[in-house]
Amino acid sequence: MNDNELSTMVRESVAGIRSSTPVDQIISRGHTVRVWRRRVPAAAGALVVAGGAALGVTALAPPGHTPSGKAASRPAVVQLAAWTVAKQANGDIGITIRQLQHPAQLQATLRADGLPAHVSFTGNSGTVCQPRRVSGDIALDIYRFLERNGSDVITIDPSVLPSGVGLNIMGFPSGSSGPVAIGIQTVYASRQCTG
Amino acid sequence: MVVRTQQQDFAEFYRSAADECLRTVVVSIGDQDTAQELVDEAFARAWSSWRTVSRHPAPKAWVVRTALNAGISRWRRQRREVSVPDPARAADLPATGGASASQVDPQIMAALMRLPARQREVVALRLILDLDTTRTAEVLGIAPGTVMAHMGRAMAALRLDLQPELQQENRP
Repeated sequence: MNDNELSTMVRESVAGIRSSTPVDQIISRGHTVRVWRRRVPAAAGALVVAGGAALGVTALAPPGHTPSGKAASRPAVVQLAAWTVAKQANGDIGITIRQLQHPAQLQATLRADGLPAHVSFTGNSGTVCQPRRVSGDIALDIYRFLERNGSDVITIDPSVLPSGVGLNIMGFPSGSSGPVAIGIQTVYASRQCTG
Repeated sequence: MVVRTQQQDFAEFYRSAADECLRTVVVSIGDQDTAQELVDEAFARAWSSWRTVSRHPAPKAWVVRTALNAGISRWRRQRREVSVPDPARAADLPATGGASASQVDPQIMAALMRLPARQREVVALRLILDLDTTRTAEVLGIAPGTVMAHMGRAMAALRLDLQPELQQENRP
C-alpha cells in the first residue's frame, strides 16, 4: 500500500460525515457573540437571545421555598417563568433567562449555589462592580453559552473561578417584542458587588 | 445591504467548508458529537469576526484551529469527562466515541485514534483539510520539518496498523 492509497483510504473513511447544523443557526449564534462584544466591553463572554413572553410563575421548588443562601437546602432546579437555574451533578450551574424579571431572586439563587454573582436587568450595574479582566481561555472555562433544546443556556463552573473573581450578569432589553440579551462580565468579588 | 452580502458570503463559505472542517476535527479528536459542537462554535466565531476571517489566507484552517482550541479549553474545564478518547480504548471499541458506524470506517478510525494526538492533527490537516506542510505548520504552531516528521511517522504507523487487517479482509 503506497502513500496515495493510504491517503485515499483515510479520506474515504470519514467521507460520510456531514455537518448537521443549518447555516442560519450558526449565524444566529455568531450574532450573539458579535452583539455581546458591542454591549459589554472589557469582558469576555457572549449573548443569549430568548424570545416569547411567558405568563405566570412555574416553581419546581417545594411550596414556601425561597432561596435562603444555603446550598444544601436548595433544590436542583429553580424555575420561574422569567428564568431557570439548574445545578448539575458535576457542580455546573445552568441558567436560562427568558424575561428580565426578578433579578434579585436570581442573584440570591446563584449565590446560594456558591456563585459570587451580581445580577442586574437594567443594562447598567452602576458602580458597585469593578470589571476584572481574565484571559479568554479562563473565561471559557468559567462560563459558556450553549444551545439546548432550542434555548440558549449559560453554563457556569463555579469551581474554576479564580480567587477574588465574581460574575456580573447583565440583562439588556433587546427589542420591543420581548427578546433579551445577556452579557457576563468577570468582576472583582466584593461584598457590595457579589455579596 | 453590506451586511446581507457578508451574510451570503459567509453562508457560502459555511456550506462549502463545514463538512470538511467537521471531518478534520473528528479525525483530530475522535468524537463526532464533540467535534460538531466545537466546529459549530468555531463557525459562529468566524461569523462574528467575518470581516477579519474572510480575509484570512486559509479560513478553513482558522475554523479548525479555533475548534481545536475550544476543545482544549473544554477539556481543561471538563477534566472529569475527557473528550479525547484513550487510543488504547478506541482500538478495542471500533466506531465508538460518537462517530457512528455508518459514517466512518471503524478500523481506520481506530487506527487513527492509536496515533499520538499531534500526529493525528497533522494527518487531519494534511489529508482531510488538504493543507500544505507550511500552512499545517502555521496552524499547529510547529516547524514545517516537524510536520513532515509527524506525517511520515503517522503514515508508517497507519500502514503497519492497517496492512494486516487488509490482508485479512482479502483472505477467502
